[in-house]
Amino acid sequence: MEVRTQGSAAVPDEDLVACEYLTFTLGSEEYAIDILKVQEIRGYEPPTLIAQAPPFIKGVINLRGTIVPVVDLRIKFQLGKVEYTPFTVVIILNVAGRVIGAVVDSVSDVISLNQAQIRPAPEFSGSFDTKYIVGLAAQEDRMMIVTDIERLMASAEMELIDDAAAST
Amino acid sequence: MAIDMSQFYQVFFDESAEHLAAMEALLLDLDVANPEAEQLNAIFRAAHSIKGSAGTFGFTDLAETTHILENLLDRIRKQELGLRPDMVDAFLESGDLLRSMLEAHQGRGTVDSRAVQGICARLRQLSDGPGGTPAAPRTARVAPPVPAPVPSGGPAAPVVTPSVSEPAAEPPPACRHSFGIEFVPTEVSAQGDGVERLLEELRSHGELEVLSRPDAEDHGVGFWKLRLTTAVAPDDFSEAIDFIAENGAWRVAEEALVEVGGTAADFGFFPDAPGAPEETEGYGFFVPLTAPADTPAVSVAGDEGYGFFDPPPAVSAPEAEPEAGYGFFEPLPPATVSAEAQVPAPADEGEGYGFFVPLPAPPVEVAPVVAPQPPPPPAGGGKAAGRAAVDSSIRVSVEKVDQLINLVGELVITQAMLLQTATQMGEAAPERLLGGIVQLERNTRDLQESVMSIRMLPISFVFSRFPRVVRDLSAKLGKQVELKTSGEATELDKGLIERIADPLTHLIRNSLDHGIESPERRVAAGKRPVGTITLKASHQGGNIVIEVGDDGAGLPRQKILAKARERGLAVSEQMSDQEVFSLIFEAGFSTAEQVTDVSGRGVGMDVVRRNIQALGGRIEIESMLGVGTRMTVRLPLTLAILDGMSVAVGDQTYILPLSYVIESLQPQADDIRTLANQGRVIQVRGEYLPVVVLHELFGLPSAWADFTEGIMVVIGADGGKAALFVDALLGQHQVVIKSLEANYRRVPGISGATIMGDGHVALILDVPAVAGMARAKGQKAG
Repeated sequence: MEVRTQGSAAVPDEDLVACEYLTFTLGSEEYAIDILKVQEIRGYEPPTLIAQAPPFIKGVINLRGTIVPVVDLRIKFQLGKVEYTPFTVVIILNVAGRVIGAVVDSVSDVISLNQAQIRPAPEFSGSFDTKYIVGLAAQEDRMMIVTDIERLMASAEMELIDDAAAST
Repeated sequence: MAIDMSQFYQVFFDESAEHLAAMEALLLDLDVANPEAEQLNAIFRAAHSIKGSAGTFGFTDLAETTHILENLLDRIRKQELGLRPDMVDAFLESGDLLRSMLEAHQGRGTVDSRAVQGICARLRQLSDGPGGTPAAPRTARVAPPVPAPVPSGGPAAPVVTPSVSEPAAEPPPACRHSFGIEFVPTEVSAQGDGVERLLEELRSHGELEVLSRPDAEDHGVGFWKLRLTTAVAPDDFSEAIDFIAENGAWRVAEEALVEVGGTAADFGFFPDAPGAPEETEGYGFFVPLTAPADTPAVSVAGDEGYGFFDPPPAVSAPEAEPEAGYGFFEPLPPATVSAEAQVPAPADEGEGYGFFVPLPAPPVEVAPVVAPQPPPPPAGGGKAAGRAAVDSSIRVSVEKVDQLINLVGELVITQAMLLQTATQMGEAAPERLLGGIVQLERNTRDLQESVMSIRMLPISFVFSRFPRVVRDLSAKLGKQVELKTSGEATELDKGLIERIADPLTHLIRNSLDHGIESPERRVAAGKRPVGTITLKASHQGGNIVIEVGDDGAGLPRQKILAKARERGLAVSEQMSDQEVFSLIFEAGFSTAEQVTDVSGRGVGMDVVRRNIQALGGRIEIESMLGVGTRMTVRLPLTLAILDGMSVAVGDQTYILPLSYVIESLQPQADDIRTLANQGRVIQVRGEYLPVVVLHELFGLPSAWADFTEGIMVVIGADGGKAALFVDALLGQHQVVIKSLEANYRRVPGISGATIMGDGHVALILDVPAVAGMARAKGQKAG
């Protein structure tokens, strides 16, 4: 991680520590997630269906011998057109000690953001609960939704993890 | 230099646990009335080994308890005390306590110090009991030398085979000999108080003189030279020296016969062949004595070890076999002789690193005598060489083996993918590529089999604990029971071994408590007073079958039915014996008239069944009133691989564990009937089985609209049968079970996943759950 030396003494040090984020698009929205949670990015392949799973859980794939569930975030958040083309990508995430695949429209790039650049998000209601949003970041003319992907994937509503909260 | 002793702890724990297990097995095997000397010696050696290494590692509580135990054992094996059953009990109990001490040292559980004191007092009392003087004066007697040494494996204690042949006769008791003892302690023991302990122990045998000790700055690591004048045979203390000494770097030499109270100068060692070493293993070091020639040398050979020598006071002719040894020798006095080694260069045949030079003096009569010249550094090279001297097995952590199994699993999948690709290429595939792939297939299969066999252990690991269980329990219940085991060599997965022990113990306790009757009742029923419990393991197809049988009273059908009614269970007289007997697996079910601390609370059998089912196995009961009961446990061979049948449903592939599949058939239109217009049944040879339509259950599109176009797979689960409707049968495979829960959650009806040859994931059906789901669905609809 690189430390940027910007003059202002009023800004706490931790705000200046920049982290790298991977940005991807869902419909017309751009999201940013901590790149350290990303294991790899790969093309979409038809997964094996799981009976009685919610529609956004596409199934499981074989990732070099590991059985990995695949979640289509577009279906989960009703964003973008759900179609599977050769360009559809799966971000393999390493969160909460698990490996999970997430289908997104496309992966944009890797950007560096420090805490000061991430502004708190306004409260709003929608399918995407604001508790999973760290904040909003602006770079040039793009606005990115910085997401706590670990918290999102581990949440009961994703139905990925067996725990007391999960409906089993 | 601070040495981290803890790196050796695990070796000590493992070894001590093995010694304890060996001791227990021997004790149980012992014929109390007429114990065999060899068995007693073996028990003594086990206790002695634990004591020695516990002392070295500073586990004083263990060392003290084993010391008391050892004293008593020593007196028994010298026939000063007769063996009595209560002694065996005390030994077994102290074995249990030692085990719990070991566990406590490993951070598991605690030790009841009162119990330890209690057993120590009991052992002392037994040892001081009839038979005269307390156990201390070992010095006054000459113990019969232990014919075979303790084979203690691992780098800390190399196997040492004293090449002392068994004495022809008991040595006369009053001989006192002077032994020259030379050794180089390991750094570990020198920095602990190992050396001090050794000196103390030696002092207990007789008069000890320290002739030379290492410089103070070496912290005792270095060359020690002692002289011990004692009446005991060197075997009695050489083991102790071996524990302390750097791998094999020790020597005990007879220097002089100090006083002979008995008859001859012949004191039992090498009575027939003075100075002749064992020809086959290891090498001996000989010290021709200043004493007359008919007084032979005591020589001790380190099998595969290496010796470290200082010029002995007497003329010496060390003899080394360069095949497997690493010899480091101090320069010898000119009088030392060499018979064969005429080459100044290192003898490099075998693995030996020795430095040999021809020596001027004429050879003695011993065959190939080599006298290495340059004194190498004492510790440096020696350590690595000692590592090489290991026994034929190695300890490997289970994780490493599991990792290997996983990797091989991957290899199998990759191999299958390659094969499929090559097959698709058809004619275009070069012949050599196809040949290579076929070769690869064979090799991977062999590799997989060998890797899987690493995890396989004989079931005797579990069975060996039951003689003790039966012994203790039958004594407690006042019953006479004999345990017969067979098929101990049957191998199964280590994971299963660990988890089957508890359910089996419970079944045996149950048989003992409820099955076998009291001797009076048995006699009244015209049976032998001694009941028999049989424990049998065998392979049957892809299963391990373990039977626990007894020739006891059998299960009372009427009593079970009455009890079930009492508990409000739905039962009827029409139920088959099998169904009635399986009621005893219900939670809280017990027909015992009284609750004992052995069993009768009704908890247990349900746990047994649950545990066995969790292992992918099942349990069956057969019983005949008055004749006996037999419980049969069927387990899969391994938890990692499953024999499965792949079936197609829509565009998906599922794996059905083959152990549940009874048959498959293509149904005729009039075989299938509906019940009350919702449930469907199929008639299979006069039996009506409920139909589970898999694609309906899993919400998948099916290729067939009509039952007659698909396949019915008859499955047997939980004693019931059902027909599973699938689109097609694809094949039969051995599949590697992968967890679905590692990255996802539990899915009802699915027990796991596997990767097929084409790289796709196939889900493994949880057959009992699927049958259950279909039943629940039917009930909901109705």
